[in-house]
This record gives sequence, C-alpha cells and structure tokens, in this order.
Amino acid sequence: MVTTIDREPVLTEVGELADRDDLAAYRKARRRAHTRRLATGAAGLLVLVLIWQLVATLLADPVTLPSATQTAQAFAHYLGRPYPSQGDPLWFDALTSLRRILIGFAIGVTAGVVLGSAMSASRLIRHLIDPVIEVLRPLPPLAFIPLFIIWFGIGELPKEVLIVIGVTPIMAVTTVAALDEVPEDLRLCARTLGASRLYTLARVQIRAALPGILTGMRISMAGAWTSIVAAELIAATSGLGYLIMQAGDYLNTALVFSGILSIAILGLVLDACLRGLLLLADPSRRG
Amino acid sequence: MAAQADAAATSPATSPAPSAISAGPHRDGAGGAEVVIDSVGKTFRRGGRRTVALAGASLEVRAGELICLLGPSGCGKSTLLRIVAGALAPDQGTVTVGGQTVAGPAPERGMLFQTPMLFPWLTTRKNILFGPKAQRSAGLNERDDPELDDEADAILNTVGLAGFGDAYPHELSGGMRHRAAFARAIITRPSLLLMDEPFGALDAITRVRMHDFLLAMWAQYRTTIIFVTHDIEEAVLLGDRVAVMGGRPPGIREVIDIPLGRPRHAADTDTESFLAAKRTIRSALTW
Repeated sequence: MVTTIDREPVLTEVGELADRDDLAAYRKARRRAHTRRLATGAAGLLVLVLIWQLVATLLADPVTLPSATQTAQAFAHYLGRPYPSQGDPLWFDALTSLRRILIGFAIGVTAGVVLGSAMSASRLIRHLIDPVIEVLRPLPPLAFIPLFIIWFGIGELPKEVLIVIGVTPIMAVTTVAALDEVPEDLRLCARTLGASRLYTLARVQIRAALPGILTGMRISMAGAWTSIVAAELIAATSGLGYLIMQAGDYLNTALVFSGILSIAILGLVLDACLRGLLLLADPSRRG
Repeated sequence: MAAQADAAATSPATSPAPSAISAGPHRDGAGGAEVVIDSVGKTFRRGGRRTVALAGASLEVRAGELICLLGPSGCGKSTLLRIVAGALAPDQGTVTVGGQTVAGPAPERGMLFQTPMLFPWLTTRKNILFGPKAQRSAGLNERDDPELDDEADAILNTVGLAGFGDAYPHELSGGMRHRAAFARAIITRPSLLLMDEPFGALDAITRVRMHDFLLAMWAQYRTTIIFVTHDIEEAVLLGDRVAVMGGRPPGIREVIDIPLGRPRHAADTDTESFLAAKRTIRSALTW
C-alpha cells in the first residue's frame, strides 16, 4: 500500500524568511547596522580627540599635556628619526616590540592549545595540570621580570619568556573550555552521517572549538602587550616601552604620547587581524 | 486499509513480546530496514554507583514502520535509541538493523536530535553535503561535486529550503533548521531514522507544521523511523505503534497499536478515534 499525500506539507512558518530575496535583504540590513555601529564608534574616538585637543589648548602646558596636533607632529617627526638619547627611530622600536610580541605569542598560543587539547582529551592530564594553571594564572607576569633578568639577563629571551608565561595559561584554559563546549551530540551527529573518528575530530570537534580558541587569542594578545611594555620599561635598551621611558626622563611628553599611540595602533591592528579570523571561523558573528 | 480496520478491531494493547508484530497496519517498507532489539540492557557506573538505565528491552520494528518510544524522563528511551544508533554499547543483548548487528554509528542509521545540531560554520547546502563528503573522504563513495550539488538542490527543494542553500544556520528559523537537519540525515539514504524528541524545543505552532512535514517526508522516503517522545499526542499522531517505556528497572512495558488510518495530519488530533487512542495510551502509562 502506497500512501499518497493529499495535502502539501506546510513549509512556511510564522515570521520566517520566505525566500532568497528576504535573505539578501536580511543580510543587507545586518551589514548596514554593522557599518552604523562602526561609524558610531569612530565618532566616539573623534569626540575623545576633540576633548583632548580642547583641554590641552586651555591648559597651554605641553610638558603636562601636549595637544593632539603636537603629538601628531612629534609622532611624524620621530617616526623616521632617532631620539637623541638613544639610537633608534620610533618605527624601529615599534618593530622590536612587535617582533617580541609575535614570537612570544606564537610560542604561547601553540603551547596553550596543545596543553588545552591534552587536558580536554585526558582526565588524568587535566587533573595533573589544572592546579598548576590555577596557581600560575592569577599571578601578574610582571612579578617574574626580576627573576627572568637573573635567569636570562636583559636580552630578548626574558621578554619572550615573559609573554609565553602570560599567554600559555590563558590559551590552555580557553582551549579546554572551547573543546568541552562542543556538544557530544554534534560529534555523534557527524559519526551517524558517515564521518570517521579522525574526520570528526578535525572537521567537527576542533572546527567547532575554533571560535573559542580565537577569542582566547584576542584576550591573551591584550595581556601580551601589557607584559612586553612593562618589561621594556624596566629592563630593555629597545622597544616602545624603552622609548616611552626615555622620552619621559627628558620630559618629552609629546613623544611619550606618540609611543602610547603606537602601542594603541599596533594593538588595534593585531586585534583586527584576530577579529577577522574569528569572523571567518564563526559566520554568526558577521554583520 | 483493511489491515488497519483489523487492527482497530483487535485489543489495542498487545504484549511486548516479539510475536505481537503481526498486528497493526502494514506498510510498504521498501526503503526501510527491519529492527530487532533483543533483551538489551545497559547499566551506567559513575563512581561507586550503578544505575540501571535499561533492562531486558525487546522490540521488533517492521521495515518501513514509524514506531514511537513513549515514556517519562529516565525511562530509558534515549538510552535505547543511542544503543540502536551504535553510540552506546549494550551490556546485554543485541540490536540488528536490516539483519546486521549494530556495532557503532553508521550512515545507514541516521539520527536527529532535540536541537538540529547543524554545523554553524557551514551553509545549509554544505551542512546537507557533510555526510556524502565525509563518506567520500573515507572512500565509501566516488560521487563528484556536480552530482552532489544536484542532489543537494533536489533535497533543498523537497524540504522547502530552495533558495536557502547559501544561508547559515543562524539565519534560519527554528523549523527551517529542523528541516535542514532532516535533509542532511536523509541525503545519505538511511534505512532507519532515529529521532530523539526532535521537536521538543519548538513552539506549538511550528511543532504542528513539523509533524505534517515529517509525515509527508516519511510517506515519500519510506524509511523505518524510531521516534522518541514524552508527548502522548505526538506519539499517537505519528506512530503505527507506540512502545510505552518506564518502570524499575526501566524497560518496554507495553507495545500498543494505533488504529488510525494513513495519511494522518496534525489536524486529525481532535477526532474521536484519536482521543480514544490517546486514552488507551494514557492508561498504559499508569501501571
């Protein structure tokens, strides 16, 4: 006996998108909302700069507070020219700090993700490493600076180790959380669709954890900047932290501001890169 | 239709013994596999505590039949479904599907969950093609991309998602996500579909539409369906038979024929014969 369908199934629902045109319109609206949010954010920054300029003009004391335009001039002046008390122009110090960040960050992220994956995969490893991380994580990495100077001197190594120390625990914790959050049923679903264990691990479990891992990278990147600038303030002969310290010693406040501005710009650019990866990995965050 | 009239004339309550399978409406089950669940038991051990999740469950599901497993939380229905899926190994007993003993998840046994479990990083089309592509990478088929694309188009059309192939899951409504999940499960041509309270989280109106959708799809694909629910009305509307589960230790208490004709629709739920069937089931739940 073959059952015939005497009624078409009802396929549209209350409030749902009816067709492709609706989807295109929906995406366009989300993009427009996104652009509006960016514009509002830019306006907020502009207001901050205007207030800064106004207060600096009223104060008329460039040593205490140089104006935005004076800072911009100092930035442009020293970008390619070395500050007299040291040998390197601003761009070189920026590059030095950036190199330290990227090396330490790469090692720290790799170590953290490997550690986190192992903890997620094995209960024994998790119980073994969890307390170590819980002890290390709340410690400010800055507390290690004197120790690392004793151990590694004042070269590149202590700065990179400092960043690794800060990044690794954060990445381990966020990786464990991201992998744990992948529902058991999502893996079972892949397996019932014919995916092998390996295919499921790579294309489902790790893939599903990727947005969480990238979010962890954004958080630890911010921490890495804190560590590196602090280390350069205390024990370095190059880098943006060192530049800021030098400029401060000679009351060149506009150059101090330029150094801070450089950190802000670099931080923003690196975060934008990670955010871009996050948007690629998680379509629901787009728009 | 004669077979259904016979079933209505006999006592609605039948014993859970496998010999009872001759009663009830017969369907042309060309696309479906026969399922034999033989004395299946499962005990979970957590810490020092043993919890019997299922004991001595036996059930024969005819090829092409839609059978509902009905019972309260903790009655073992989800455990039984996962054992049939191959996600859990039983401590006692065996399950055979189409003559083959179940030994792990396989695409012949598709599964649908309470939430649609779509992969959020894939478009609807790529979600639907996940199974065929995963199987291709395992060397289980050699279908090329154009062929798969055509099939995805056809199935998107069938489930009413034409034009939404490029939409991401978060851009779909609740009912559309469930239809996409159905399409993803059915494209691998399973001979058995296991459904674990698939519409439990939907609003009442969408749910009714999904019932009609499922009944229409079942009539078209003719696969065997084991449908887990705790909703008496849902069980009566969908099932050829309802296996009532529960008790201590949890198991199958009774298998009841639903003496209602096909095709059925969500609108049939207020007819007298429907209410009578509901009453029978309800009394079976108070053992």
